[in-house]
Amino acid sequence: MKDNFRQSMKWFHTWVGLIVGWILFFMFLTGTLGYFYQEITRWMEPERPFIEHNISNEQLLDIAQVYLSKHAQDIEQWDIMLPNARDQNLRVGWRKPAEPGEKRGKYQKTVIDVNTGDSIESRATGGGRLLYRMHYRLHYLSTKISYWIVGFCSMLMLLAVITGVVIHKKIFTDFFTFRAKKGLLGWLDIHNVLSVIALPFHFMITYSGLLFFLFTYMALSSNLQMSDEEYSEMRKEIFPRTIHLDSAKQPRDMLEISNLYQQVKKTWGADQLSYVEVFAANDINAQARFVRHETDITYNPADAVMVNAITGKLILQIPKAYTVTGMIHNGFFSLHEGQFAGPIARWIYFFTGLIGAAMIASGLILWTTKRKPKQVKQLNGPDFGYRLVEQLNIGTIVGLPIAIAMYFYANRLLPLDMVNRVNWEVNVMFISWAILLLYPAFRPAAKAWREQLQLAALVYMTLPLINILTTDKHIINSVLQQDWALFTFDLTLLVIGVCFAFSAYKYKALTLNKKVTKRRVKQREVTTDEGLFTVRQMNKENA
Amino acid sequence: MFVLTSLSFSAMVLFCLAMDKHRKQVLAQKTPTIMVRFFRPTAWLILLFTTYLSVGQFGWSIGIAVLFGALTIASLLLILLLTYRAKIVPQVAVALSLLVSLSLFSG
Repeated sequence: MKDNFRQSMKWFHTWVGLIVGWILFFMFLTGTLGYFYQEITRWMEPERPFIEHNISNEQLLDIAQVYLSKHAQDIEQWDIMLPNARDQNLRVGWRKPAEPGEKRGKYQKTVIDVNTGDSIESRATGGGRLLYRMHYRLHYLSTKISYWIVGFCSMLMLLAVITGVVIHKKIFTDFFTFRAKKGLLGWLDIHNVLSVIALPFHFMITYSGLLFFLFTYMALSSNLQMSDEEYSEMRKEIFPRTIHLDSAKQPRDMLEISNLYQQVKKTWGADQLSYVEVFAANDINAQARFVRHETDITYNPADAVMVNAITGKLILQIPKAYTVTGMIHNGFFSLHEGQFAGPIARWIYFFTGLIGAAMIASGLILWTTKRKPKQVKQLNGPDFGYRLVEQLNIGTIVGLPIAIAMYFYANRLLPLDMVNRVNWEVNVMFISWAILLLYPAFRPAAKAWREQLQLAALVYMTLPLINILTTDKHIINSVLQQDWALFTFDLTLLVIGVCFAFSAYKYKALTLNKKVTKRRVKQREVTTDEGLFTVRQMNKENA
Repeated sequence: MFVLTSLSFSAMVLFCLAMDKHRKQVLAQKTPTIMVRFFRPTAWLILLFTTYLSVGQFGWSIGIAVLFGALTIASLLLILLLTYRAKIVPQVAVALSLLVSLSLFSG
């Protein structure tokens, strides 16, 4: 009975994993990049200045206030984002008044050059935000459909995680077992190790991922059980708002924000200011809310301090009234997004995310490895299904990273004044991915693997060079300016390139195939890629 | 963070040495059975201490999350070492523990 149970779980794990594996790989990889979305955005806007050392928060607040008083006079609420470990530029933002037909106005965010005090015009780019949004809001599909697809895949992922634990007979005795062997045993060990060492992460990320669109997936239950009023009441309980006064429409000059900051410093002691919100700016009701870097996963009322911006007195804040369920809900959100994470914890998030993506990839490879001996022996060659899985594996596991690199290339190489530039950056990414998904259909699997690995190595290692040729925010200048965030970005690209080169080399050593004219193939691949872009661009211009 | 990962690593090494098949991989000579019995409890103690440090540094909520991250990284490192450089595991563990105690006492 017990073995029967395990057998059926195994069957379930295999097929569920296979069906949604590729989408999950896409979600995990783009989601993992999301942990660095601010860093990616900064890299993708090379017009922004380098980091400014030796400038105090007070000076930065002054610069921001001068800018906002000039350019956002009629706006009631201002946001000032101070430079931090993730984004080294001073940014300000405000919501524009709603245009007719809009529920609320567009949010406008501007980067300020601290030396001139003026805003910086950056190229049109989707940045890191667009890249990470893809992991739940599949780019070309409508919001509703993508939420349902993502939810379906995450649900199956959760089942795969649970059944995986069930069928893994010896989690603890085999905890450290990794036999670096070729073939089935080696892949099984890799899959097991990657799953087990980050099991808390895999479970947390999948489960909390499902919570994000709770009200979409469980709409029926919440619709049937409560009225609209009860529903909005519940939402308020889960997402309480900060209480602040609105404008009284009586203009009054505010104190300097840097001055108010002195008050806040006394409360906090350590200097960890993250951003400032100003409500009812330059009005008799003006208040400034100072928020520091998060110190708790759920909610710490002491992380924000409210000051009256006219009198400079601290305003005693009523802490947001969270219910226990609301706390748990927010805790899971926070764990999923990792907003609280400092630089090192962020890197750990990034690595565990990659472990998750690698776990899915190894599971997919395991499927083909297991069936390979039987399939190869068949008279008419492998089945269509087997070849399809192999092709999708190659096209996704190596193809998607290349496509993401192409997104960065598009950011640097597309003309700056292009119409719909943001859309075209993404189109370039998906066109490259489509090509790389089709490509393995026309090549023997072993060759396709190696060629795409080599291509991946090439694109990632060339990217910093392209950066040197097209902008002044490249790896050499970032060292000279001691802008380590930008430097790390370029360095990471190089390291990824080296990793791909190493795996291509290893792959070649393992498969005892004769040398093929790989270099020519690689070049052809790149030129067809670029050829396609230019053709599309020309079409666009003609239209 | 370095301290947490190193301590997790030491705990993991002890867990791993408590298992016969891995002990043979890592240690050339035989270890007295009495000593082996102490490996697992010591590992749990180290883990407990790491949790204490992590919670002390980051608070209850973030501390636990960070601890799991540190454990993941430490396990990955250990598993890779076991497969490719099993003999240097004790040296790495000792070196890391020394560095940890240095940073704990100086800071």
